[in-house]
Amino acid sequence: MAEVQQDSSGSGADFDLSQFYQIFFEEAGENLDQMEQMLLHLNLDTADDEELNGIFRCAHSIKGGAATFGFSDVAELTHKMESLLDKLRRHELKPNSLMVDVLLESADASRALLACHQSGTVGQGPATGDLVRRIQSLVNGEAVPAARQVAPQQPPTVEVTPPNPAKPAGDVPDAVGNKPSAGRQLVIRLTKLQQVEQANAVMELFRDIPGLGEIKASVAADALLDERVFEVHTTSSNEELLDLFAFHVAREQVVIEELSPPVGAGTNAPDGVPVNAGEPTAVAAQGYGFFDGAPGAPVQPVAEAKAPAVAVEVSKPSAKSGGAGFVQPEAATIRVAISKVDQLINLVGELVITQAMLAQNSRTLDPTIYQQLLTGLADLDRNTRDLQESVMSIRMIPMSVVFSRFPRMLRDLAGKLGKKVEFVTLGEATELDKGLVEKITDPLTHLVRNSCDHGIELPAERVRAGKPESGTITLSAAHQGGSIVIEVRDDGKGMSRKKILDKARERGMDVSDQLSDAEVWQLIFAPGFSTAEVVTDVSGRGVGMDVVKRNISALNGTVEIESSEGYGMRVSVRLPLTLAIMDGMSVGVGSEVYILPLSSVVESFQVRSDAVSTVGQDSRLVKVRDEFMPVIELEKVFQVPRYDTERTSDMMVVIEADGSRVVLLVDELLGQQQVVVKNLESNYRKVPNVSGATILGDGKVALILDTAALVRRSRH
Amino acid sequence: MQNVDHFENQKEQMSGASSEYLTFRLGSEEYGIDILKVQEIRGYEAPTRIANAPHFIKGVVNLRGTIVPIVDMRLKFNCQSCGYDEFTVVIILNLRQRVVGIVVDSVSDVMSLSDDQLRNPPEIDSTIDTDSIIGLGSLDKRMLILLDIEKLMSSSDMGLVT
Repeated sequence: MAEVQQDSSGSGADFDLSQFYQIFFEEAGENLDQMEQMLLHLNLDTADDEELNGIFRCAHSIKGGAATFGFSDVAELTHKMESLLDKLRRHELKPNSLMVDVLLESADASRALLACHQSGTVGQGPATGDLVRRIQSLVNGEAVPAARQVAPQQPPTVEVTPPNPAKPAGDVPDAVGNKPSAGRQLVIRLTKLQQVEQANAVMELFRDIPGLGEIKASVAADALLDERVFEVHTTSSNEELLDLFAFHVAREQVVIEELSPPVGAGTNAPDGVPVNAGEPTAVAAQGYGFFDGAPGAPVQPVAEAKAPAVAVEVSKPSAKSGGAGFVQPEAATIRVAISKVDQLINLVGELVITQAMLAQNSRTLDPTIYQQLLTGLADLDRNTRDLQESVMSIRMIPMSVVFSRFPRMLRDLAGKLGKKVEFVTLGEATELDKGLVEKITDPLTHLVRNSCDHGIELPAERVRAGKPESGTITLSAAHQGGSIVIEVRDDGKGMSRKKILDKARERGMDVSDQLSDAEVWQLIFAPGFSTAEVVTDVSGRGVGMDVVKRNISALNGTVEIESSEGYGMRVSVRLPLTLAIMDGMSVGVGSEVYILPLSSVVESFQVRSDAVSTVGQDSRLVKVRDEFMPVIELEKVFQVPRYDTERTSDMMVVIEADGSRVVLLVDELLGQQQVVVKNLESNYRKVPNVSGATILGDGKVALILDTAALVRRSRH
Repeated sequence: MQNVDHFENQKEQMSGASSEYLTFRLGSEEYGIDILKVQEIRGYEAPTRIANAPHFIKGVVNLRGTIVPIVDMRLKFNCQSCGYDEFTVVIILNLRQRVVGIVVDSVSDVMSLSDDQLRNPPEIDSTIDTDSIIGLGSLDKRMLILLDIEKLMSSSDMGLVT
């Protein structure tokens, strides 16, 4: 969680998080529900670690998310809950019903606060200061139930720890007005800041959290470049301030100096038990008209006197949350198991097949007689198509899910390499099948890393080349026809044609200087190929590009490289939108039908027997526009039985995979169609040269050819 | 006859431990498999051939969107004749998350066999691995060969799993 928090104020400061709000609200809601359930079922005497850990995890997740999204009130409350739960799970405290009550109330308050954030009515949420205080006192182990006085609300612990009594001031404006007299004057120094925004975020804390105090940026003559100095007026203890700041800056970066030491011996309280507890409490209480005497003395009678006041406060949020201001928004999404979605897709696939079958059979009907039936079938056609589209879209998720992990990674990487990199993303809203998104993440990570490591030069080098000091890496995604194109672009040094050719020769590859640029770039996909002078832990080992290429080919995708030395390079990855449906070309061999992925079909033509020449009797080559390509006879590969001896295969289909081309010899081309890809391995096993199966319009199964395997086959 | 059997079986079911078997014929032999492994029984339709598969794997068929391999038990057990006609039946089995179809000559009955009707598997040399025979069921004059169909189908020589 910690890194996410830092990120929110660091490099991610300009990154729009709002698109993830919804997900956070859903998850937080689920976590709260779960926590509530677990709390209710918690057996106080026999609570086991698993249960306590579970509750802790819930609180922790909410805190992390809330802090990331800048909901500091929720984060603060859950942070306190977490502290208490942490002590419980480490058996430093023993759970009691008081704690459960407070935790449950806190969960309710968190829910209400989240609802406020969700509906955009920030600031109208329940005051959490009191809850925070009560939890804190429980954490300190000072809980002394005073059940007599305040049976339902149970806040008797307040007497000892009113850490920042001004917090409930949102409800008690008077308290704010009176408070300064009791506060402390501090100078807070934030040192070694990586980004100035972190300091601004700290200032916002004071604005966002009612009653925390006042902050004023001050110009200190001795401040270093990466330092910011603030004058702060607050009643909170150092410990609390540090806790809050921890969302934005590390503890060791914060130096707190006191300007006017407060009265009272509590100043040196080491464990965060607040300073001069009495006075502010008195002020807060006065706001309610309670508590006239004995200010600040942490003794039992005080608690008794004060308890009702607190009870009033606490009852407010619950009253509010029931009111119109806190209508819990209806859940706009549901979570379902991916297997259910797949089942749905499967069924729709079936429907599409049935529909195709009906359409085929009805073609012979006389339209004048069966007009109504045919109109109905046309409607069915349209509806199934729409249905299929909608169902497929369920599995689609935006690319931002992948893209969002890169800013952080690049920032670290650039820091490590001493480079300056700006990261630009385009088209994050482009949607892609969930299965593909998971599989594309690793190859993309590798490409982005490559760009940063090999592409972008060191700042000095860039300046010498007349380029801006910081390089730019652009990651973009866009739909193009039936596929998605993801580009990784950098304005670094690009690839050197000469270097690659030299390296290739060094590795014993047979390359000529006549190769086209595109062919040269393809060389980097060879296993073990790396032109990096230094092997770093980032890259340069030569494992990578070949893996990238293989992974993307496995998804029926292609990789293209454009590069211009000195100006940068661009790697484009083209992928089908989904793995479940594929554009296929059906070919007939004998009486059997096979499907070729259309993405790998280059061209097809009818061959004359004199264009085919043999090598070593059985290997055949065909000449296509001055290029000899190996011929693969599907009939032989698949041992297709031939009943009609008269007929021979004479249609040729050029396919391309793994950067090379081969020609398939088939009987006939049957057509192009979208096919639903089915797994053969789930019930059978891997079949050589076959990547899957599909169901044709007549209900028959047809095998989908694995073009990459066929191409490899021709090489051996 | 079968009705009487059935009645008796039911009585036995109440008295002692018993389990139910689906019985089918391959040539003149009668086999039984655990009924709980059977998903459904359907007629034979020509499957899509798969190249380089063992000869007893006829290919794959489309079972409501699922691709299911079809094993011809008669070829597997070296039966003399194995024609395909309208009475040829495919038993669809559900074995450890896998769906497999087996071709048999005909399906006879579902029978309950009590423990005292079971005999140990014979120690003979046959095309069937004796490991995949649970035992023999004795029913009056008939003999049932009870197959551990799961073991049989997941053995490596079936070529169903890699």
